[in-house]
Amino acid sequence: MKNKFILVLTILTTFMQFGCSNLEEEVLDESLTGGAALDAVADGSISPAYAVLPTLFLHTSYFTLQEISTDEAILPYRGGTDWGDNGIFIDMHRHTYTSSHIRIKDTWGSITQGISRSVTAINALAPLAETNPTAKIYLAEAKGLRAYYSMLSLDLFGLIFVKENPAEVSTILRGNDAVEYIKNEFLAIENEVSKTVGPGRMTQGAVWGLLARLHLNAAAYREPYATTLDFKTEDMDKVILYTDKIIASGQYNLSSEYFEIFDDENHTNKELIFAVDQRAELNGHNRLAYFSLSGDMFPNPAFPKANGTDGPAITPDFYQTWVAAYGAKDPAVSDPRFFKENLKIPSDSCIAAKDFEVNRGILRGQQYGLLTTANGQPFARCADGVGYKIGKLKNITRSDKTKLVNHTEFIDFTAAGSGYSNGYRVLKYEFSKKSDSGRNKGDADIVIMRLADIYLMRAEAKLRKSNDVAGALADVNFVRASRTARIVSPALTSMSLEILYRERGFEFYWETLRRTDMIRFGKYEGTWTEKTDSNVQKRLFPIPQSAIDGASDKPGYLVQNAGY
Amino acid sequence: MLFFLTVFSVASWAQTEVSGVVLDDANGPLPGVNVLVKGNKKGIVTDLDGRFVIKASVGDVIEFSYVGLETQVITLKNYTKLNIKLQANAMQLEDLVVVGYGSKRKKDVTGAVTSVKSDAFNRGIVTSPEQLIQGKVSGVNITSASGEPGSNQTISIRGQGGVRSGSTPLFVVDGFALDNSSTGGATNPLSFINSDDIESIDVLKDASATAIYGARGANGVILITTKRGKKGQSKVTYSTSLGTSSMAKEIPVYSADAFRAKVIEIGGQLTDLGGSTNWQKEITRTAFSQNHNLNISGGTDNSTYFASIGHQDQQGILKNSELKKLSGRINLTQKLMNDRLKIDLNLNATNTKSERPAIESLIGTALSLNPTYPAYYENGFPSIFADVFNPLIRLDLYEDLTNTNRIIANISPSFEIIKGLDYKLNLGVDNSNSDRDIQNRPSTLPQQDGRLDSYYISNKNNLIENYITYNFDLGKNNFSLLAGHSYQKTFVQYRHWSIDKFKDNGIDPKYNPGLGQELDLIDNMPSGSAIKNELQSFFGRVGYSFKDRYLLTATLRRDGSSKFGSNNKYGNFPSFAAGWRISEEEFMKASPFSNLKLRAGWGRTGNQEIPSKITQASSTTSVTGSTSYPLYPTDIFSGGTTYARLANPDIQWEVSTQTNVGLDFGLFNGALSGTVDYFNKVSDNILLEVVPSDPIQAASTYWTNVKDMTITNKGLELALAYEYKNENGISFGLGGNVSFIDNKIENSPFTVLTTGSASGSGLSSATINGYVNGQPIGTFYMKEFTGINAQGMSMFRDVNGDGLDTDADRVVAGSALPDKLYSFYGNIAYKGFDLNFNFNGVSGNKIYDNTANSNFYKARLAKSLNTTAAAAQYPTESITNPASISTRYLKNGAFLRLNNLSLGYNLNPKKIGLENWVSTMRFSLTGQNLFVITDYDGYDPEVNTDRTVDGITSYGIDYLSYPKARTFLFGFNVSF
Repeated sequence: MKNKFILVLTILTTFMQFGCSNLEEEVLDESLTGGAALDAVADGSISPAYAVLPTLFLHTSYFTLQEISTDEAILPYRGGTDWGDNGIFIDMHRHTYTSSHIRIKDTWGSITQGISRSVTAINALAPLAETNPTAKIYLAEAKGLRAYYSMLSLDLFGLIFVKENPAEVSTILRGNDAVEYIKNEFLAIENEVSKTVGPGRMTQGAVWGLLARLHLNAAAYREPYATTLDFKTEDMDKVILYTDKIIASGQYNLSSEYFEIFDDENHTNKELIFAVDQRAELNGHNRLAYFSLSGDMFPNPAFPKANGTDGPAITPDFYQTWVAAYGAKDPAVSDPRFFKENLKIPSDSCIAAKDFEVNRGILRGQQYGLLTTANGQPFARCADGVGYKIGKLKNITRSDKTKLVNHTEFIDFTAAGSGYSNGYRVLKYEFSKKSDSGRNKGDADIVIMRLADIYLMRAEAKLRKSNDVAGALADVNFVRASRTARIVSPALTSMSLEILYRERGFEFYWETLRRTDMIRFGKYEGTWTEKTDSNVQKRLFPIPQSAIDGASDKPGYLVQNAGY
Repeated sequence: MLFFLTVFSVASWAQTEVSGVVLDDANGPLPGVNVLVKGNKKGIVTDLDGRFVIKASVGDVIEFSYVGLETQVITLKNYTKLNIKLQANAMQLEDLVVVGYGSKRKKDVTGAVTSVKSDAFNRGIVTSPEQLIQGKVSGVNITSASGEPGSNQTISIRGQGGVRSGSTPLFVVDGFALDNSSTGGATNPLSFINSDDIESIDVLKDASATAIYGARGANGVILITTKRGKKGQSKVTYSTSLGTSSMAKEIPVYSADAFRAKVIEIGGQLTDLGGSTNWQKEITRTAFSQNHNLNISGGTDNSTYFASIGHQDQQGILKNSELKKLSGRINLTQKLMNDRLKIDLNLNATNTKSERPAIESLIGTALSLNPTYPAYYENGFPSIFADVFNPLIRLDLYEDLTNTNRIIANISPSFEIIKGLDYKLNLGVDNSNSDRDIQNRPSTLPQQDGRLDSYYISNKNNLIENYITYNFDLGKNNFSLLAGHSYQKTFVQYRHWSIDKFKDNGIDPKYNPGLGQELDLIDNMPSGSAIKNELQSFFGRVGYSFKDRYLLTATLRRDGSSKFGSNNKYGNFPSFAAGWRISEEEFMKASPFSNLKLRAGWGRTGNQEIPSKITQASSTTSVTGSTSYPLYPTDIFSGGTTYARLANPDIQWEVSTQTNVGLDFGLFNGALSGTVDYFNKVSDNILLEVVPSDPIQAASTYWTNVKDMTITNKGLELALAYEYKNENGISFGLGGNVSFIDNKIENSPFTVLTTGSASGSGLSSATINGYVNGQPIGTFYMKEFTGINAQGMSMFRDVNGDGLDTDADRVVAGSALPDKLYSFYGNIAYKGFDLNFNFNGVSGNKIYDNTANSNFYKARLAKSLNTTAAAAQYPTESITNPASISTRYLKNGAFLRLNNLSLGYNLNPKKIGLENWVSTMRFSLTGQNLFVITDYDGYDPEVNTDRTVDGITSYGIDYLSYPKARTFLFGFNVSF
């Protein structure tokens, strides 16, 4: 009996030993430390803070908030099947957006992620910066990025989050407190950042440019809903101070060909001060080129699937500002910024692949290009089998294949106004030569700040500060006179805030500045195609509902903006 | 050896044949009764007329036994013909109920446990075991996600105890606890079990029953027992069924003619290609299914065996949808050392092949595609449309194939140390490997570059358990004790590769991925994961009964899990229960109650179903577009280091505390029996992945136990059954059950926890469910639609009265979870014929029709996309009115379904002269899903498209779900 017990106990203990575990969790598929080599830690820390930028500058993110909400861009329910998205682009244009708007949520997500990654980078780089000079520069850039993302947050949502350590809970600042914080953050790194690593990285020029932009808009940031914005003299002085510094640095030049600023190869263009460095092989998207272009336009002979999408067009109202400025003369022959003709159709309608280049700027009327029978089908070739046939584009990828791709000025949200071809289109960025789908592999840097803006900001500050018409006119005309590659737009003879506002539209259309400009010039509550809302509370976007719901365990912490 | 020889020769010398007949209590002949002379190894079985002939000597003890009837033992006095009558077990009280680490007589059970035997299972095509008991167990809600063959089943026992996914019960097959992880593909991981192999399914509902499974018991436990051989009963059974299925209901979109008129009438742009196509008909078919099962079983005194092989081939009603299953099972029991050592062995191998079309896009296109588009050209080829892919071409070009091999084996030797004291070892292995290929075949016209996506999943689950049971009596005191240790390790590995741009040369990409021409890291970044979890437990149970009348059970399990940090590794899960068999009391002797038992129990269980690695922070360094950035002009990019996850080292179990009071009763000698249970289950320490209140976080969400928050499920369950059998051979039974469940969230610090992401263009950030205090899980939280305003736009109730239409106007608009579940069933049998039916229904729930929301609105009709008439319901509605999430698309989800109707006939083989070879033959006709009474106008009200957001489970959403089939089956069953 006893022996049996011992036998059983032995068996039992054996198996128990076999089975017993200390239950330490073994992680098989992740390196919990990140696994970067020690010398790569600095690079690995700063990269993610920048890496948010291409996503933020997607067509459906920051671009939608800054442009579709204005008179520069309208996106109807194309052909009844495309870009309907349950009215989100219509809501954006009509200012009827709510806190569950996906595009607002996406943009918020990118900005908060940018801030968070900057905070993480600052904490990782701070100890390295004591000994490593590269890390020291990165640390300054991380602080600059945090200030930049915060400035976007203030501009769009009217608040910023301040934290030094990832573990602490952010302090929320609004109004003047937020402006002061961002200003001081930039000032703290003004002389820490490099002067020469741009435009893809935060440089001294970028810091000065952003400081100028902050001071120019400070009135709107302090009192977002004010009927009349209070532009303070000391702010305008600061705008002039920083723009002067940039111009005096001699580092930047205005581009003689306007559209080269937006070419695939724009990384070395001397006009760029701060930009999103896109590489087709890593992080580049072609969305800003693809978004407005006709779905039947195929700009790359090598890629029969790389087309546009018939997204937004400019509103007739915005087009009429060009017409008003140049009167009887067509804007295409009056202003090099309006249009650049690249595609001159040969008499035999036959062109070699290397010579095929689509037009740039604002595209009107019948469009010509490579011919195909459907998206993805090979392009029609000439009789010699080498050249490509060029002809009138039709809606071959749509149900009615006989309809011509003929862009009309008329566009609105009615069925008649939301055809595939309605509206004048914008192809400002070069359609990436490397993009095989039309969506991916963008190569052009996306402009955040360029020299022309420096001149126009200085002009505006001069006007707002002391109505220095002569000074402002000189700055504006300097920019106009610098575009010498093809045609030169005539010098302006008078200057006012109205004219300057119009000039900013000509210079910066579709460069994600319009909403901020409209608010600063008191235009955001105006009326334009399909837009009548005049509620000043729409100047700020709603905080996404998911963020409000997430913070609902801390009453009073994250308060929704008025009107949402 | 000499001893055996002697016994054998003595026995054979004295034996003479004795014959007789065995009858049931209604004097009907009883075929299949085991007749065994004690001491002999081999018994015989009565024939169809209940007759037997066996060799025996005077003085021999002969035993007559039959499952469900009282075993009768006689001592042979002479050789006159024997006339044996077997009585039904009073209330079948001797039925064994599997309770986890053992079984108990039903009368001794103190917890809320329901056992369903194979003869009560649902009939028809069954691809996973949950379907067998749908509607059979009170308090258990089983909902199939869709009508797809092998579709996932949502099963909840006594309501939802958590807000997060992972609220499925624990499944234990023959003592082996399964891991609920997906085994690859999109089909239910449990479909590997051949339903024909299942003997019984036991559902442990209350905490006093489930606490023995500790940290995995909070959502209830389902114990599946497979068939085993029986001593002296050599049997070969072949069964087959052949069935046809068709779509039970079409969604009534406009016909081509009605469409033409309607688009014009509402002022839309009509595109008319002159055809007339019912696209739903084009993508569906009459589907055939077949099922073959062969099993052999039998046994001697020392060993029993059961072996089966099954083949199931079920076509879905959508074209290119099919589930094929081949399974084999061997269950052996061997006794050694004078029956003191017993070894059970179970081995199950299954190969499952599933083929799926691109379901959502197929249904979505078929519902909204312009009906004037002709489906085919005159030459019979599917038409090509420039603006949209013809779904018939998509069917040709797209293929989603999953092939899963799963082998489960467990061996459990037990050794009787002294009488009543047993030691048992349980070793189990569950290995599954699955590969899934999703291919888009290359095509020249319409142009499509080929693409192949391949996924590999391998699952491993190892179990080692040691336990001791000791049963003994001290006078009128009976004790049963259990103590043990368990260690389980699960491992899930996943990998994915893809390749693009195949040339259109007639070769399927899956057969030669090397023909793909493009492999860039932007479109073809490989991915993978590997997760290992360990669970270690110590458990014990004490059962005590006094005079068979007063019953007490106490259990304790201590569970440790690798998912938790060192400060919270282990949790304790106790339970107590008591039972009083009132019917055994003297004062009840004269009452009509043949059984009356009062049960009460309390227990605590846990839920550890959260992702692994939460206690450890993680950062990764990778070169991707979203983590790296070109810092220098070169094309060499340095990796970016980002946080993948924040650590919560203090994460803990979710704890569920349940009280249960129940009453079992039997009246009129067991003819009427029933059970009533009241329960109150409170879950706290709720595990959640939440959005941090501060949006500036390294990760956008983090896991935490929400303090004070509770989820309460209270309910009442009632089950009744009545059996009748008369002298003329007519028998019938009627039964039913009903459950009332009240679910409520309390003390949540969040105003709302949203989930149920809406699908469809422009709806992608909107949510449908929202969980708020005072309301149940599954609550719909959205704006209340009040009609169309003068501008033709939607109006919503301005709840906060601020004059604005904002998300602050969202309201609680009902729940996806029914507050009442019911079912009733019946059977009638006469002279070999039998008829069975089974209804089940729910009420008090709603369904969000996301299919209608994203497809059937006026703006789409105006653009020549097909809709139902509901889209044009408001004549003044503008054709630019967007369809946002609102109660406009929230519909009543109550239904009553005739789930099963089956007519069978048992043919006496003697009638066709086969009695020497065949013992039973049965023919049956079964109809499944014959009709549904419901207000819901989607495909079927039993639907649950998973739209989980951040781990918070969604409920009651219907989005382009696979339509339900109506099925007719012919079945044939023969045993030898």
